[in-house]
Amino acid sequence: MWKVFGPRTDAAIELSLAGNSRAFVLDATGCTIGVKDVSLGVHPGETFVVMGLSGSGKSTLVRCIARLTELTRGQILLDGLDLTAMDERALREVRRKKLSMVFQHFGLFPHRKVIDNAAYGLEVQGVNKTLRHQRAMEVLEVVGLEGYENHYPQQLSGGMQQRVGLARALTVDPEVLFFDEPFSALDPLIRRDMQDELIRLQRAMQRTIVFITHDFAEAIKLGDRIAIMKDGEFDQVGTAAELISAPATEYVKEFTKDIPKVKVLTASAVMRRGGDVDGSRCVSFDDSVETLLPLLLEDPQPLTVLDAGHKPIGSIDRAVVSELLRSDR
Amino acid sequence: MTTATAPTNVVPTREWVRTWAPYLVLVGGVIVLQWSFGSGGVFPARGDSVLESPIDDAGAWLRSNRLSHPVFTSFFTPISSFVSAVISGIGNLLLWLPWFVVVAIAFLIPARVRMWRAGTVAAGALLYTGLIGLWDETMRTLALMSAAVLLAVVIGLPLGMWAALRPRVELAMRPVLDAMQTIPAFVYFLPLFMVFGIGNVPAAVATVIYSLPPVVRLTTLGIKRVSPQAVEASKMYGATTPQTLFKVQLPMAVPTIITGLSQTIMMALGIVVLATLVGAEGLGSPVLQSLNQRRTGRGIAAGLAIVAVAMVLDRVWRSFAVRDPSQRVTRRAGLLTIAGLLGGVVIGRALGSVEFPTVWDWSLFDPIDDAVVWARDNLRWLTRPFSDFIVVRLYLPARDFLTETLAWPVVVFVAGWGCWRVKGPALATFTVGAMLTIGLIGMWELSIDTLVQVIIATILAVIVAVPLGIWVGRNRRMEAVVGPMLDALQTIPSLVYIIPAVILFTVGVVPGIIATVLYAMVPGVRITALGIREVPEESVEASRTFGATPRQTLLGVRIPLAAPTIMAGVNQVIMLALAMVIISGLVGGGALGFETVRALKRSLFGWGFEVGLALVLIAMILDRFTEAVAQRMQPPSATA
Ligand SMILES: Nc1ncnc2c1ncn2[C@@H]1O[C@H](COP(=O)(O)OP(=O)(O)O)[C@@H](O)[C@H]1O
Ligand SMILES: [Mg+2]
Repeated sequence: MWKVFGPRTDAAIELSLAGNSRAFVLDATGCTIGVKDVSLGVHPGETFVVMGLSGSGKSTLVRCIARLTELTRGQILLDGLDLTAMDERALREVRRKKLSMVFQHFGLFPHRKVIDNAAYGLEVQGVNKTLRHQRAMEVLEVVGLEGYENHYPQQLSGGMQQRVGLARALTVDPEVLFFDEPFSALDPLIRRDMQDELIRLQRAMQRTIVFITHDFAEAIKLGDRIAIMKDGEFDQVGTAAELISAPATEYVKEFTKDIPKVKVLTASAVMRRGGDVDGSRCVSFDDSVETLLPLLLEDPQPLTVLDAGHKPIGSIDRAVVSELLRSDR
Repeated sequence: MTTATAPTNVVPTREWVRTWAPYLVLVGGVIVLQWSFGSGGVFPARGDSVLESPIDDAGAWLRSNRLSHPVFTSFFTPISSFVSAVISGIGNLLLWLPWFVVVAIAFLIPARVRMWRAGTVAAGALLYTGLIGLWDETMRTLALMSAAVLLAVVIGLPLGMWAALRPRVELAMRPVLDAMQTIPAFVYFLPLFMVFGIGNVPAAVATVIYSLPPVVRLTTLGIKRVSPQAVEASKMYGATTPQTLFKVQLPMAVPTIITGLSQTIMMALGIVVLATLVGAEGLGSPVLQSLNQRRTGRGIAAGLAIVAVAMVLDRVWRSFAVRDPSQRVTRRAGLLTIAGLLGGVVIGRALGSVEFPTVWDWSLFDPIDDAVVWARDNLRWLTRPFSDFIVVRLYLPARDFLTETLAWPVVVFVAGWGCWRVKGPALATFTVGAMLTIGLIGMWELSIDTLVQVIIATILAVIVAVPLGIWVGRNRRMEAVVGPMLDALQTIPSLVYIIPAVILFTVGVVPGIIATVLYAMVPGVRITALGIREVPEESVEASRTFGATPRQTLLGVRIPLAAPTIMAGVNQVIMLALAMVIISGLVGGGALGFETVRALKRSLFGWGFEVGLALVLIAMILDRFTEAVAQRMQPPSATA
């Protein structure tokens, strides 16, 4: 899909396709290329993270997917339904039933109590007050806000406010959740709490999530798959391990370089496939390499990696790990 | 050498022509026009009756058909009776309630959100009006103003919402709102009087027209200022446009709207006094009465009652902007209070203590009269020369020069030339057209007369306001002293301080000019102070680093950088001076102001209409011209 801001979108796309840079296109046509020919598919239940620096077009991308801005070219399909072709009314129905968004600056309603903020999605659907408050209370409890329902958002701290944002998104029981840098405005410690909270919630609810961030560590922590975005394009899409072990461009490498691989990579990402699987000492596929170090130090015999169904799928020995440790330095 | 000078000489010559050509045109035009039309040429008022007769006919027709014609029976009369019913309904209710219940309500509305001080002020203000024996009039004025504010909100809110959602509507509305704010409110009196007849209704409608632009503007502004994320969030959860508007945008815009409106209330109170001219009830008539009897003290007493109404409305209204939930009283306390009030009503009515008990009356303020009379008798040495200076040295020479010495085409030409220089052909065309219209309908001499008075008052006001504003802008303590005085000058009806001016300087143009200066300088001081304060600290620091003295910094940096803002203040000063034209007319200033009053009193519809048109055109010319000057003063980077 494409998103071009400005008056001469066709000309801008032509120029861009001909291989010209964003700056050149802006100079020539007065148009900003927000999203340049991006294609992506997100699987049900997956957390898909889009990571990029400020101005790379992440917000534009997610706003296009949610149709908060209109695409210049392309299509958005949700369960086979074409969002781009929908009229206002149909789109409103989809938003009410299937979509939700959490915003960077929260976008809360300061004149409504926490509970009425949380219940907003149900309110516009016409759900009666008792029912929607009941549902909102359940969700507020889940995100750890019980007891605050009668406060107003501005009486809460930033982290709590974003919990309200989260509650508001969850109350409508959406299939797809969009997060546009939801934790960027928070202090580091609170940000970590919120990330853990989200992981906990996602484990329980298994929603489809599109998560925007400019923080690579956050991307690795939350994402099943990560897209690295630069100048409106995807440089690379893949799992954290794929990005780290095989960065496609210099740009991606720049990000991955500072990441301690033993901490991030899981056993399944570094193991030798097949290999020497004697099954004497087993580890799980999602154990981080760091946790394997003591085992290997204590005994040089290779470890066997088991998948979710406890079947052996590969092995890890000292050579693999020392290779990894060397590249970390 | 000679070959080298030749080419360099060409450029300066062209430069020279470009710089001086406009002035040559000016001088040439003036000489030619003056010579061919000669001095003392009266403007040929060719269109004198073009407007006057048909409007007089229309007035006569209106008067005989007011009760029978369908336009009235099905449109104006219902509006009129509705508005009138609302006003007298509120008024009657306020007078039916025992006085102490009214005072208690004035206290409790702000107090319910814990604005204790505001509540005390509101209640105290009402008590004052009762103590000096103006309770009934105060309640009538309160009713008139509340109804007007209510109507302005009811009409203005939807318009503002519409404009916020549709940029094209906003664009179309802008010139209309501009015009409504430029035209002095009293100009509306006559047409409203023609349509609605005598009474509260034309006064209320004039107030509504006057307060509508700020309500519409602030509603639009407030809605547009709502965080776009909140609006987007609402959209994202599937809210329809009206749902977003009513559940998110409008509630979030309320504080902006309320704060702005309470400013408007203050300004609109000036209309209350004048509204007496079209037969409105309330505090206006005691003020006019004390003017006619030259009773300064009573004028002040009644004027303060008007200020009291402003304070009550302002405090009560502001309390609705408070939305901090933790400030609200509990439901139980609320119910108890309401029960208490009801009890008060029952007891008060049963005991017959409804009217405010007579304690004093406004003769309490009579000693002030003696002070003013003393000042008149003992300050002659000061007031006489001052008055002579203004009349003999400024007013008469300027007026006679413009109407008798110069031929009228010269005046029109020079005005057009000035507008061309400042803005361009569009403004010049407008100005020339407007001036010719004024002349053609036979308003030339009266308009020049008014213009001269307005300009003298403006110049004096600027002479006072700019230095004072600079001082206030640089000195916080000064601000604390001057601020409340400015507030007072703006809220006390100007008719009140014109009374001592009349006594000191006798009837004529001088008291009008003095009152105008006092009233009109307020925004001049405020905006100048603002401009001085807004000068970026960096520029000031930079100047200091170069070793500039404070004086050099002030003259070389602060004032030039604040100049565009100061010019905007001058624009405001002129607009307020125009609004005072009618007040001057009441105390012997003559010209268009007096004609307005005369037309209202004698129902001279056609004549009054021409007078009003001339005033509107003058206001528009002055407004656009000063605005253009202010724009030119902006540094180039800001205009680009
Ligand atoms: N409404 C708009 N009009 C014009 N340009 C825009 C608009 N919104 C975003 N852009 C431009 O698109 C580019 C991408 O912006 P954005 O998606 O907000 O980046 P990110 O969220 O990654 O920081 C930026 O260069 C920005 O200036
Ligand atoms: Mg962004």
